[in-house]
Amino acid sequence: MRPLGILLTFVVALVAIGGVAAFFISQSYTSPNYPNGVQVAQPLGTAVVNGQSVPHVALQFQTYPDSTGSVAGKQVHPSGNPAWPAYGLSNQYQVPAHSLVTVTIRQYDSGGSLNNPWFAKVSGTVGGVATFTSPDGKTVTTNHVDPDNIGHTFTMRSAPGVDSAFFLNVPLPTNANLPNNQTNPDAGQYYTVKFSFLSGAKGVYAWNCEFPCGQMVASFGGVMGAYGFMSGFVHVV
Amino acid sequence: MSFEEEVDEIEANTLLGGAPFFSRPGGKIFIIWLVFTVIGVLIGFYAPHHLLPVMQSPEGGDVWATIVFFTVLAAPVAALVYAIAFYSLFAWRHRSEDPDVPPPDAEPQRGNGPVTVVWLAVSTVLVVVLLFWGIAVWSAQQVSHPNALQVNVTGQQWLWTYSYPGTGVETRTLDLPVNRPVQFNVTSVDVTHGFWPAVLGVQVDANPDVVTVIRTTPNKLGKFIVQCSQLCGLYHAFMNNTGDVVTSQQFDTWLQSNGATPTAAATAAGTSSSGSTTAMGK
Amino acid sequence: MTTAVAPPLLEDTQLGPKAGGFYRYQNIWTGLGFGIFLGFVAWLVSHATVQGSNWGTDMVVTCTMVAWVVGFNIGMGTFNAPIHWILGHDQTHEDELYAAGVGQGSSRYLKFCTDHKVVGTQYLVLVMVLFGVGGTLAMMIRTQLITPHSSFLDPQTYNAIVTIHGMVMIIATIIMVSGPFANFIMPIMIGAKDMAFPRLNAMSFWVVVSAVPCLLATFFLGGVNAGWTTYAPLSVQAPAAMDAFAMTIITFVVSVTVAGVNTIVTVVTMRAKGMTMGRLPIFTWGTVVGGALGLYAMPAFLAVMTMMITDRATGTSFFVPEVGGSQWLYENIFWIMGHPEVYVILLPPVAAVLEIASTFARKPVFGYKVAIAGFVAIAALSIMVWAHHMFTTGWAPNLAAPFMLTTELISIPTGIIFLCTIGTLWKGSIWTRLPMWFVYLFVWNFIIGGVTGIYLSDVPADQFFHGDMFVTAHFHYTLLGGAMIGATAAVCYWFPKVSGRMLNERVGKVAFWMIAIGIQVTYFGQFWEGFQGMARRIAYYNPHYETANQMSTAGAYLLMAGWLVFLYMMINGWRHGKIAPANPWHAKTLEWKVPTPVPLENFLVDPVVTSDPYTYGEGVPDGQEVPESAPAPEPELVPAGSAPGDQIDAGGAS
Repeated sequence: MRPLGILLTFVVALVAIGGVAAFFISQSYTSPNYPNGVQVAQPLGTAVVNGQSVPHVALQFQTYPDSTGSVAGKQVHPSGNPAWPAYGLSNQYQVPAHSLVTVTIRQYDSGGSLNNPWFAKVSGTVGGVATFTSPDGKTVTTNHVDPDNIGHTFTMRSAPGVDSAFFLNVPLPTNANLPNNQTNPDAGQYYTVKFSFLSGAKGVYAWNCEFPCGQMVASFGGVMGAYGFMSGFVHVV
Repeated sequence: MSFEEEVDEIEANTLLGGAPFFSRPGGKIFIIWLVFTVIGVLIGFYAPHHLLPVMQSPEGGDVWATIVFFTVLAAPVAALVYAIAFYSLFAWRHRSEDPDVPPPDAEPQRGNGPVTVVWLAVSTVLVVVLLFWGIAVWSAQQVSHPNALQVNVTGQQWLWTYSYPGTGVETRTLDLPVNRPVQFNVTSVDVTHGFWPAVLGVQVDANPDVVTVIRTTPNKLGKFIVQCSQLCGLYHAFMNNTGDVVTSQQFDTWLQSNGATPTAAATAAGTSSSGSTTAMGK
Repeated sequence: MTTAVAPPLLEDTQLGPKAGGFYRYQNIWTGLGFGIFLGFVAWLVSHATVQGSNWGTDMVVTCTMVAWVVGFNIGMGTFNAPIHWILGHDQTHEDELYAAGVGQGSSRYLKFCTDHKVVGTQYLVLVMVLFGVGGTLAMMIRTQLITPHSSFLDPQTYNAIVTIHGMVMIIATIIMVSGPFANFIMPIMIGAKDMAFPRLNAMSFWVVVSAVPCLLATFFLGGVNAGWTTYAPLSVQAPAAMDAFAMTIITFVVSVTVAGVNTIVTVVTMRAKGMTMGRLPIFTWGTVVGGALGLYAMPAFLAVMTMMITDRATGTSFFVPEVGGSQWLYENIFWIMGHPEVYVILLPPVAAVLEIASTFARKPVFGYKVAIAGFVAIAALSIMVWAHHMFTTGWAPNLAAPFMLTTELISIPTGIIFLCTIGTLWKGSIWTRLPMWFVYLFVWNFIIGGVTGIYLSDVPADQFFHGDMFVTAHFHYTLLGGAMIGATAAVCYWFPKVSGRMLNERVGKVAFWMIAIGIQVTYFGQFWEGFQGMARRIAYYNPHYETANQMSTAGAYLLMAGWLVFLYMMINGWRHGKIAPANPWHAKTLEWKVPTPVPLENFLVDPVVTSDPYTYGEGVPDGQEVPESAPAPEPELVPAGSAPGDQIDAGGAS
C-alpha cells in the first residue's frame, strides 16, 4: 500500500498543479494562444542596407479605439472592452532575424498629450525617421511629431540582456478632426505611419504603447495593464 | 559506544579537563567552529569577488567592502551556533534499540548567567561595530559636489529617460564621464519605480511628483545596466536600459551627436550649472 | 465530589431534538450558499446603481466581496448567538453543547464549532490547503524562470501570480502556528477547558475561510499586478482585482485580531490554579507575545487597505500624488504593519522550537526568562524598524542611521533566542525523533537568514541589494527555512495529540532530507542571482542569470517533492498510523497528560500545577499533572524551587 499511497499523492498533486498551469496558460495570450493568431510578416524579397543584402519583409496592422469592434468577422480582441483601444487584429508579430522590416500602421484612434514628450521622437528606425500620412492625404517624413497630438506609440525593445539593446519608438499621431468611438473601425479615417527597421537577433521582443490611453493613475491602468491590447511580443525567428 | 559511556566520557573530558585539547568536547567544538568560520569567511570573500558585477564607482566598492567586513564579523558567531548544534547532534545524540523509549534525562541546566552576559556583551559590541561601519560609510557617501554633472532621470511605465540640463539632450541611454561626480535627480511621471544602476552602488526610488537625489562618481569605464527595482506593472521586467561610463572627450562627442549645441555641451561637460539640487518633498 | 469515579464524558451527553437551534441546519454548504446568494444580490444591486459611474467596477467588486463575507458567515452561524441576545433569549446549555460539537461526529469539522480542538484541526487543514495553493503558485513562478525569456506565462499573469503567491503565503504563515496549535494545544497547556471566547474562536476561523475566495477571485478580475506589498500608486492603478485583494486583507485582519485577543485573554484569565505566568510553557509565551504584536500591527493593514479601497472606489486620494496624496504615506503605514508582521509569523514557531528542543534534549529550556525577555524585546523593537524597508525610497534619508540602529539592535534578542536554543541542546540527551530533526534544520536555516539580514540592514549595502533576488532569498530563509520549518517541527511534535496517531518517521526522514536540501539549493540559487544583480519579480531576465535560476528551479522542484512526501506522511499517519499513546514523547507539559483523543473540555479532573514543566533530570515529581480521578486538592501556591515572579495568582478557571 505504501508505494501506491505515495504514488497517488504525487499523481494527484502533479495533476492539480498541472491543471493550474493549464488554467494560467489558457489565460495567457502568449504562445500558442494568441488572440487572432500570430501575424507573420509578408516577404518582399531582399533589400540592401548599409551595403549588405538582407531579407525584406512587410507588416501591417492597425490601432482601433474599441477592442470589441469587429473587423473582417473577427472581434479586435477576444476579451474586448468598449472603453479599451487595441492593436489589431493580432498583437503577436513574427519577423525573420537580421532583416529589413517595413511596418505600416493605420491609426484609427483619437488621442492627446504624452506623459513624457520624449516618446514623440522617432528612434531606432532606418534613418531615424518615419513617414506620416494624415487622413487628408498630407505626407511628411520626419523624426519627431507634436507630443500633444498622439494617438498611440509603437515602442519595441529587446528582452533583458546585455548584448541585445534593441529599441524602437514610433509615435502614431492623431489629429483633432479624427472621430473617436468608431463602431466599424475599418470604415473610419486613419493616420498612416510607415517606417522600416532592422530586426535583431532571434528572440522575444516586447512591444507596447507608451501613450496614456488607459484609466486610473497616469491613465496607465485598465487597458495598459492588461496584456495583449496595447502590448504584445514580436517574435524574431 | 553506549549513551552512558559517552556521558562518562564527556564528564571525564570537561571543557577544561586534563585530556589533550582536541579530544575534549571544547576542542572538538573548536575544530567544527574553525571549519565553519573558515567556510563562512571564504564565502564572504568569494561571493563579492566572483559573483557581484564589476563595480564602477566608490559606492559600489563600499558594497563590496561591507559584504566582506560583515561576513568576517558574523561568520564566527554563526559558526559557533553551528558548531554547538552539530556537536550536540553527533556527541550527545542518544542511540538506543527502541526509538520509542526516551533517553534518560540530561543534567538540568536552567540557564547560565555569565554565559548569557558574555553573549549579550559580544553581540552588543558587534552591533555597535556594524552600526559605526554603516554610519561612517553612509555619511561619507552623502558629500555633495557643487560641480557635479546633473542628470535628470525620469521613470515612466516602462522606460527610463535621461536629460542633461543645459544641453537639451534627452536620451534613453545613460552616458556618464569617468571620474566626475554626478548627481541624479530622479522622478517619475506615473507610479513608483526603482532607479537602480547596480554597478554604481546606488539606488533610489523614482516617485511621482517628487525629486529624489543620489550622487556617485563613476570611476571605471564600461557599459552597465540600469534596471527598475520596484515592481511597476506589466512590463516591469523590460524596464531596463544600458548606460556607459566613457572618457570626458567621448562624453562631449556623445552629447553633440545627441543634439546638444557645442557650447551647451561644453557647459555640461565643464562647469556645470549648479541647478536645483535636493528637493526632498514637494 | 469525593468519589474516585471519573465524571461522565461531556461528549456523551444526550441532547434534546431541538438543541442547537439554527446551528442544527448550518454547515459549510449553507455558508457557501448564503454567501454566494448575498454576494450575487449585492452584485445585482450595486451593478444596477453604480455601474457606469467613474469608479463603478471597484464599487461593485467591493460590495460583492463584503456581501459574500457577511453572507458566508451568516450562513455558517457566526452571528447566531449575538442575534439570539438581541432578540432577548440567550442560548441554553444544550445549545452550547451542540455548538461545541456534541453528537455530531466528524461533521462538526464542517460546521461552526466552538470546541477549540475542532477549530485547531480546522486551522491545520486550512493552513495546509493554503500552503498547497501558495506552493503551486511558486511552482508557476519557478517554471517561468527556467529560461530567461520563457513564454510559459505572460507578464500580466506572472505579476498576478507573484502577488498572490506572496499574500497566500503571508496569510498561511501568520496562522500556521497561532491557528492550529495556539488553538488546539495552548489551552490544554495552561489547564483551560477551552479558549476564553469559544464563539469568537470559531468566528476567527470561518472569517479567514471566507477571505480565501476573495483572494483567489483576483485571478478572474484582471490580477493584482503590484506584488504582495501592493505599493501605491501602482495598486490604485491596478485592475478591479485590487479591491478583492484589499477586502481579503480587511477580512483577514478581523480574523487575526479576534484570534489575538482571544489568545491573550485566554492566557491571562483561563490558567489553571497554580499555573502562574512564570510556569507557563515557553510556547504559550510565544503565542501571547506574537498575538499581542499582531494586535499592534495588523490594524494598520486594515487601515491602509481601507484607504486603498476608498482611493479606488470613491475617488479619495490618500496615495495618488498627482492629486495631492503620497506614496510614502502608503509605504509607511504598510511597513508599520509589515515589519512587526514577520515577527507575528516568527515568534510562535520559535517558541515551539524551544519547547520541542527541551523535550527532545531531556533538559529544561535554557534561560526560560531570558528567552521570554528576548521575545518581548523582539516584539518591542520590531515596531520601530519599519523604515528599513524604505532605505532606498528617498523618504527621509536622514532617518537612515536611526533605523539602521534599531534594525541591527534586533539581532541582539534574536541572538538570545539562538543562545537559548543551543543552550538547551548543550549536553542534552539528544533524542533524534522527527520533530528534533526539524529543530536542527530550523537552526541551520535561521542562522543563514539572520546573517544575510545584516547586509540588508546596512544602508550602503542595501543600496545594492534592495529590490534584488538577494532579499527574496533572505526572507525565504527566515520565513520558510526558519518559521515554516519551526512550524513543521511543531506539526510533527503535536501530530500524535491532534490526530491520535503516530507519524511514520522513516517516510518523514525522506521528506526531511528532501526539504532540507531543497531549501538550500533553491535559495542559494537565489542568493547567487541576487549577487549578480537580478531584480525581484521579473518574468524575463538577462541570460547572464540563467544558471542560477535553473539551480533555484531545480531546488524548488525538489522542495515540492519533499513537501509532497511530507503531505503523504501526514495523510497516511492520520488514516493508518499507529495509535498514539497519550504521551509519546514523555513530555511534561499538560497537553500530554490528558488522554488522546482529548475529551471535550479537556480535563475530567482539574490539573494541579506546582512548578513549571521543565523538571527534566531534577529528580522531583512533575509539577504539572492531571490527577487521575480524585478531585483536585487545593494547589500549593508557593512553588518548590521555582524562581521569583511566580506569585501571580492565576484566578480565572475553576
